[in-house]
Amino acid sequence: MKCAMRFHLTGGRGSRRAVSVSRLWDNQRLSRSFALPFVTLFAVLILAAAAPPEVVRITTDGVLKQRPSWSPDGQHVVFARHIGSTIFLYQRELTTGMEDRLTVQMHPEFDAVFAPDGKSLLFAFDKTSPGQGDIEIYHITLPERVVTPLATSPKGLSHEESPAWSPDGKRFAFTSTYQGNQDVYMANIDGGEWTRLTDDAATDAHPAWSPDGKTIAFATSRWGNFEIALVNPDGENLRRFTTATGLDDYPCWSPDGKQLAWTANRDGNLEIYTQAVSDVGEPIGEPINMTQNDALDNFPAWTPDGRLSFISDRDDGFDLYVTKKSAFSQ
Amino acid sequence: MRAGALSALGVTLADLLRIRAAANETAKAPAKSVILLWLWGGPSHLDTFDLKPHAPVQYRGPYSPIATSVPGIEICELLPGLAKRAHQYSILRSLKCASNDHGIAGTIGLTGNIQGAASLSGQTLPGAVQPTHGSVVSKILGASSGMPRFMTLGDHLHQGKRAITGEGGAALGPMHDPFRLDYHPGKGLELPHLTLADGLTPSGIDARGRLQSRLDDLSRGLNTSPRMARFDEFYQQAFSLLTDPAARQVFDLDREPESLRRRYGKFRFGQCCLLARRLVESGARFVQVNWSAHVEPVEDGGDGGWDMHDRYFQQYQDRHAWMLDRSLSALLDDLSERGLLHETAVVAVGEFGRTPKINNKAGRDHWEHVYSGLVAGGGMAAGKVIGASDRLGEYPATAAFTPADLFATVLGQVGIDTTSLTTNNLLPQGSRIEELVA
Repeated sequence: MKCAMRFHLTGGRGSRRAVSVSRLWDNQRLSRSFALPFVTLFAVLILAAAAPPEVVRITTDGVLKQRPSWSPDGQHVVFARHIGSTIFLYQRELTTGMEDRLTVQMHPEFDAVFAPDGKSLLFAFDKTSPGQGDIEIYHITLPERVVTPLATSPKGLSHEESPAWSPDGKRFAFTSTYQGNQDVYMANIDGGEWTRLTDDAATDAHPAWSPDGKTIAFATSRWGNFEIALVNPDGENLRRFTTATGLDDYPCWSPDGKQLAWTANRDGNLEIYTQAVSDVGEPIGEPINMTQNDALDNFPAWTPDGRLSFISDRDDGFDLYVTKKSAFSQ
Repeated sequence: MRAGALSALGVTLADLLRIRAAANETAKAPAKSVILLWLWGGPSHLDTFDLKPHAPVQYRGPYSPIATSVPGIEICELLPGLAKRAHQYSILRSLKCASNDHGIAGTIGLTGNIQGAASLSGQTLPGAVQPTHGSVVSKILGASSGMPRFMTLGDHLHQGKRAITGEGGAALGPMHDPFRLDYHPGKGLELPHLTLADGLTPSGIDARGRLQSRLDDLSRGLNTSPRMARFDEFYQQAFSLLTDPAARQVFDLDREPESLRRRYGKFRFGQCCLLARRLVESGARFVQVNWSAHVEPVEDGGDGGWDMHDRYFQQYQDRHAWMLDRSLSALLDDLSERGLLHETAVVAVGEFGRTPKINNKAGRDHWEHVYSGLVAGGGMAAGKVIGASDRLGEYPATAAFTPADLFATVLGQVGIDTTSLTTNNLLPQGSRIEELVA
């Protein structure tokens, strides 16, 4: 944790203060129980007082986009794009800016996430049906782009969506309405052995698996409006992470697993917030508004090198933005 | 003027008296125009304007109510812009429709009457379909400044692949059908299904040059189209107006400041709301903005409608809510800043609500028993909640209002009352909602 605090305070205006905090830690040998909250609070105050990080605009077409996911090598980003009445997945090569559709399907597809090895993705595929959509999770290999259904419920029109890989790539979490209301489930990467992780009459959504594999963050309305909760991959130890008034949704873990980012409207507008997470999954300090913009800022996603990306309409339409530096080195 | 002279002009004395009576009523009316934002597919009242935070989790949904600019009135947290403007509108919370079929409810919503409605299964209900509200306005109020009286921004309304009835003039004739326009990002202004002249097909019009060229073609075609015989002098006047270089500027959204276009939202519905303001500003009497042509959101050929049986919250949160919030907020501000809100009645409503109890697909199904609508401007009461639903949002807890009641009230604000309807051989629909005009 000590190292983590130094990481958070590396570089930028806060760096000198960070050093002094570290010396305080080392020289005066403050107890860990006292110093940890102190250092964290200090870090939070510095970050909270700072201007939002500078960002780079990645796309410029302005069309509504959703849920970016970055390849592990940082060379590609995949997102869903609404064009007219369609919603399709696109892959963008960062160095060239070239884009192409991920599949050639003509039905709605969204929620794509890169595998930990970057060789495939999971995504939600909304098959047009005689009735309403029957959404299932599919697997697509790269670069061959072989598409295979993975999570297909036996009960027709249920929804399986929002896939999230386990860090070892052997399992994935997702949401399903298979047994009634929408809950979080887990399955093997071959689509077998479903395990129900949550069972509540409220809506559970958007699971995100922590890099150490020990925790799954998700959004839930069980306490009122959407809040971020954490649960172990065995379904145990479900606990509340956010408590503020307002919506909290779309959690995502930083690559080092020390931070959660999510969308919140606690200031009356959709913004991206981050907050440090302890080793046992407790929130540290206060959430930080990383966007501070009158525009809609939504769908956070971390780059592999720790920069924070999101979709925003701060310029002309909805585009993908990413912080110039690691979100915690400003 | 002698009767003989009138006859020579093709105008009867009865027509003259009708027009004069309508003119007198209109002169006294508080509103000049109506903008109907038709939220096709049916928004959930529990997630927009009638939240039930104390209902069981299976009902209340994942959103909280937030305070508004009017103490005591709360709406959904996903509508923060509208929350700041609650003093500019009133909310009807006890609307009730007679059907939960989009086709039938749509006809009821747009005509105030179930006659001639077509259901999803293809059944057509008995009776002659009645003219839609815009057509009634067109018939009774006539043109203002030569602008088409009734304009619809959006394509024909569908449930599945079946077009609904009740979007046009019905027995009033095609001259009182809406003049349709549409706008699509990346394409610009479109004239859907306009086939006045052989060889003319709707195509995207974006740049001013293309627009001018398109309208020049249209102007040439007017003289040769046999369909022109079906239009009366007012409609011909409207088309002539569209070919007038000055008048066509009304349709050119590029003339608006970029900042204003962004306030409305650079998406189809937002830009159509802006176009609606330009149209009423130029004299249009009734502008209907269709949220979508299809009830379906993305599946089955949908184009973003409100009929979200599944993934309701996902889609509402990610798309519908902020679109509605941004566009309607901008429209209210824009009308107000230009001094037009007091004379322009704005209505935002769908054909019904959605089931209070969340279904097993994280969605809500059709619910006709109670739902909400928003009404602003046009001399109507603002900053009020009128009517109430019960604890779970299932049924009216106070007197229920029908779509016919709503539009009896709105049309009354532009000077169309029972007398003017019957004078024009139109069937009066519904009763005025007194709380809305008190």
